[in-house]
Amino acid sequence: MFQLSKDGLAFVKNELTRYETKRSAVLPALFKAQEENGGWVSPEVVVHLSQVMDIPMSQINEVLTFYTMYNKKPVGKHHIQVCCNISCAMAGAHEMADYLCDKLGVHDGEMTKDGRFTISRAECLGSCDTAPVMQINMDEYIENLTYPKLDQMIKELK
Amino acid sequence: MLKCTINGKEVQVKPGSTIIEAYMKAKENIAHYCWHPGLSIAGVCRMCMVEIEGNPRLQIACNTTVAEGMKINNTSVKVKESVEWTLGFHLINHPLDCPICDQAGECGLQEYYMQYGKYEPGMAEHKVTKDKVVDLGSKIVLDKERCILCSRCARFTEEVSKTNEFGIFNRGDHSEIGTVDGMPVENNYALNTVDICPVGALTSKDFRFRQRVWYLKDFDTVCNGCSTGCNIKVYFNENGLYRVKPVYNEKVNGYWMCDVGRDVYKFADRDARQVKGLRNSNNQVSQDFAGKIALEVSQHLNSQKADSMAVVLTGQYTVEEYKDFVSFFKAKGVSQFYHWINNPDKLNDFDGILYRGDNNPNTKGLAKTLADEGIKVKPWNELFENVESSKVKTVVVAGPEIQKFYPDLESVFTRLNKADTLVWLTPGKNDLFEKANYVIPTKSFTEKNGTFVNHAGVEQKIKKGVTVVSEALTLSDASQLFSGKTAVGFESNVSKGHAGATL
Amino acid sequence: MAEIKLLTEHYHKPEFQTLDGYKKNGGYDVLKKAFKMKPKEIIEEVKASGLRGRGGAGFPTGMKWSFLPDNGEPRYLLCNADEGEPGTFKDRLMMERAPHQLIEGMIISAFAVQSKKSYIYIRGEYTKCLSVVRKAIKEAYDAGLLGKNILGSGFDHDMDVYSGAGAYICGEETGMISSLEGKKGQPKLKPPFPAVQGYLAKPTIVNNVETLAAVKYIIRDGAAAYKKIGTEKSAGTKLFSVSGDVNKPGTYEVPLAYPLRDLIANECGGMKGKLKAVIPGGSSAPILNADESNKVNMDYESLAAAGSMLGSGAVIIMNETRCMVDMLNVILHFYHHESCGQCTPCREGTGWLEKIVSSILLGRGRPQDIDLLDTIAQNMKGRTICALSDAAALPTISFVQKFRDEFEFYIREGRSKVTGQPIKRKNIKGSHHVEMHH
Repeated sequence: MFQLSKDGLAFVKNELTRYETKRSAVLPALFKAQEENGGWVSPEVVVHLSQVMDIPMSQINEVLTFYTMYNKKPVGKHHIQVCCNISCAMAGAHEMADYLCDKLGVHDGEMTKDGRFTISRAECLGSCDTAPVMQINMDEYIENLTYPKLDQMIKELK
Repeated sequence: MLKCTINGKEVQVKPGSTIIEAYMKAKENIAHYCWHPGLSIAGVCRMCMVEIEGNPRLQIACNTTVAEGMKINNTSVKVKESVEWTLGFHLINHPLDCPICDQAGECGLQEYYMQYGKYEPGMAEHKVTKDKVVDLGSKIVLDKERCILCSRCARFTEEVSKTNEFGIFNRGDHSEIGTVDGMPVENNYALNTVDICPVGALTSKDFRFRQRVWYLKDFDTVCNGCSTGCNIKVYFNENGLYRVKPVYNEKVNGYWMCDVGRDVYKFADRDARQVKGLRNSNNQVSQDFAGKIALEVSQHLNSQKADSMAVVLTGQYTVEEYKDFVSFFKAKGVSQFYHWINNPDKLNDFDGILYRGDNNPNTKGLAKTLADEGIKVKPWNELFENVESSKVKTVVVAGPEIQKFYPDLESVFTRLNKADTLVWLTPGKNDLFEKANYVIPTKSFTEKNGTFVNHAGVEQKIKKGVTVVSEALTLSDASQLFSGKTAVGFESNVSKGHAGATL
Repeated sequence: MAEIKLLTEHYHKPEFQTLDGYKKNGGYDVLKKAFKMKPKEIIEEVKASGLRGRGGAGFPTGMKWSFLPDNGEPRYLLCNADEGEPGTFKDRLMMERAPHQLIEGMIISAFAVQSKKSYIYIRGEYTKCLSVVRKAIKEAYDAGLLGKNILGSGFDHDMDVYSGAGAYICGEETGMISSLEGKKGQPKLKPPFPAVQGYLAKPTIVNNVETLAAVKYIIRDGAAAYKKIGTEKSAGTKLFSVSGDVNKPGTYEVPLAYPLRDLIANECGGMKGKLKAVIPGGSSAPILNADESNKVNMDYESLAAAGSMLGSGAVIIMNETRCMVDMLNVILHFYHHESCGQCTPCREGTGWLEKIVSSILLGRGRPQDIDLLDTIAQNMKGRTICALSDAAALPTISFVQKFRDEFEFYIREGRSKVTGQPIKRKNIKGSHHVEMHH
């Protein structure tokens, strides 16, 4: 069964009183739990948060399934999200996403067998002047992508 | 009051009223799925579009308040086209599985299709598919594909039952109604979500596939499951009773009823009923017409001394019945009246919504009748002492209709059966009763006219809706027969057969 | 036209990201000036400046502020930093390079509307913005610029950051409020409007990052000076996020009513290839063809007159190599993906539109699909709680209208008129036509 760490629990308890309403803590709590659960939010996480926060499971699950930054299934250690919205698409992002999928032998949104990567297409990341752009996990953007950059990145990410 | 014009009809509404409320008041049709008067406004189905004179944009009637002099219509071509398309959007991903859908016949999609149908749907793409036949526990089955995401059920479990089982998960056209991990919905108000589901997404396990609704008739009455007295509609046909649904009463139950009350029809239906009168002499049990047994009881009562007789009453009969019954015994000189309370420790329980711990529809009515007749009920325990000491030789019991609410039924019966003569009047059957000297079948709440007084003192009339056991007696009938009049209780027409409300 | 830099004047200085560097460049001087004014005077000044919301809707800011009821209830100021409209990246740059400029603008605005609490709602993907802005807020607290009795003014104000979690719809102000309340980011019914019942049903003002930062310059220079920039109805400077087929994509601050062709030629270093079309205000804005693009000025009225809109100022420029069927598919995929799912026409319509265009891209288009796209879009327009439905409908209508030949060609030939080849990529969801029998 998933349980928040001591620090995680302290974080969630603090968020519960930080805003004008307790429920506002749901979004930050899900981020924290996802971080502590290896990058995704399992059904047990929802049960646990509901108990810890005294907020109905349905309300937590609605939030979980509404927002794209919560992963509903396990993701690779490096969750690569290639922006494929219009400016990035014009700069060849779709082809790059296809390239990465082929190179790693996965479909869109799938995790590699070794658990290292998940490749997915993201909607506009708001960096259209440096298209194509990607984000790995919740790190800073990687901009002006090129195929050599992609190759090098896959090689370097362990 | 504000004046406005609805489809050319002038109506007056209270300030703050919404346009859809004005439509209800004007008794004009307006298509809607998500709006429900007992829930908050969601404004998402977009069916209740209206045109307001002077406003180029169509507005939804459910979230637009009436202003003085507003001229509103939903009959213009512009509105009709809008509703036609919105209905079309509702249907493009709908499975259209009406032949196997239990909602058929009372489905909002079917209803408006006849009015607004976009008969050339034009959608040639693959539909979004979702889970069907999702088991949500003992009461409800969910079909996610049929759901039109009106959010009524989710608002109900958030706002009314406050149990929060339902949620709408995911987003866009992958949004789906459900509970977390298919968690069952077992709260005592769950079946209201089936009632308010405008389509076949939520169906009742108890009712589904047992009858097509167009083969059912209905009548309005009052639930006899507890002292709240929710107003209900009972659905039936010649094969029996099938379900109950709440009927709006602002003063009593609003729009809802509890799930305990959903079962009351079962105790009125034939399988649960005592259909014949019984007599037991020296352990020889024989059946006879109810009226005949009552006449035999009459003879017996005439042979007894008044002070050796006791009368036991439960809160499950009508005011009118109590009056006749009590008057008869009072006239006979009987002074020992007892009020059998099913579970005294829970009598004042209340769940904060509708359901009360007093599972009798007419406790107040009984108390009031006894008071009117100047009768003081005796302490309950005295009855057993008096039976055991043979001070009481004959006990006449107007027993409960819903026996499951009387956990002490067996022990009370057994202890009272120690009297020389036990006369048991009952709508419901029970093997136990064969041990009584006389058993007289009585009418259920669906079969008689009368008055229930609820916990708050609200008097509510119930009306005869069906006849299930035609020879069963009301307490009033029984009183007549006890006094020697012989007009009732001799026809035998135990249904298969209660073909309608007029029987 | 002379270049006027207000918001971006110090963008190139890394020091501008820190409190010290910001102060060196005049930071928080305007706040001191504002505290010497009466809150009502600030509102009047903002009204007089002609400032309109820079997030997309273009509603006059001062007027929005004056809708707050005078009922003694707590009021909230929310900064909408959920920049999600495809093509838009100006707010991200502002938060990364000039966080204190935003904070100063917000404190002034909060003082004007007498709000004691504000939130900056930043989209979750903007992790750098989140950390930069959080750090800047901390600096501001440490320097007594936030909290109790700010700079001895007697005005108390608390500011916090809230992170989104990936949902375009949270850029809609009431969707953002729902999200901040810890719910799905679904827009709320209006009325009531946020100014009356917003965050937690309390009076709430929601303004975009650029709008709030602009308030600082209106107070610094005065409404009259600000209003001189641009036109009568489109006053001030505007940040344009330019991307696509130009030599120098980026964020440019120019006066409103700046000609689009000048923006491309001067600021953006000219076209890469030949101009074919421009989406002038984010992907929800109707597309302009080359002729229209060459004639239009970048202000609210001119773009409206040209049948499009200024939106968030995201200018997406396309050259002659762009297949319009493909471009529309990308746009529709986005709105389908982002529809919150509340209102039926949007929930069902966005998916239907994308599927039809996908079918065309896969060579399964039917001649009637072109008119069907238009009809579906017409019936999604103006029928929902928020503008997302329109955001999918308007591009559809304009693409089909202005580039109909490309749709007809693709349906007829099963390949793009522009590239000569079928468009192939893995994420085009195959939707086989079901034969209809009537």
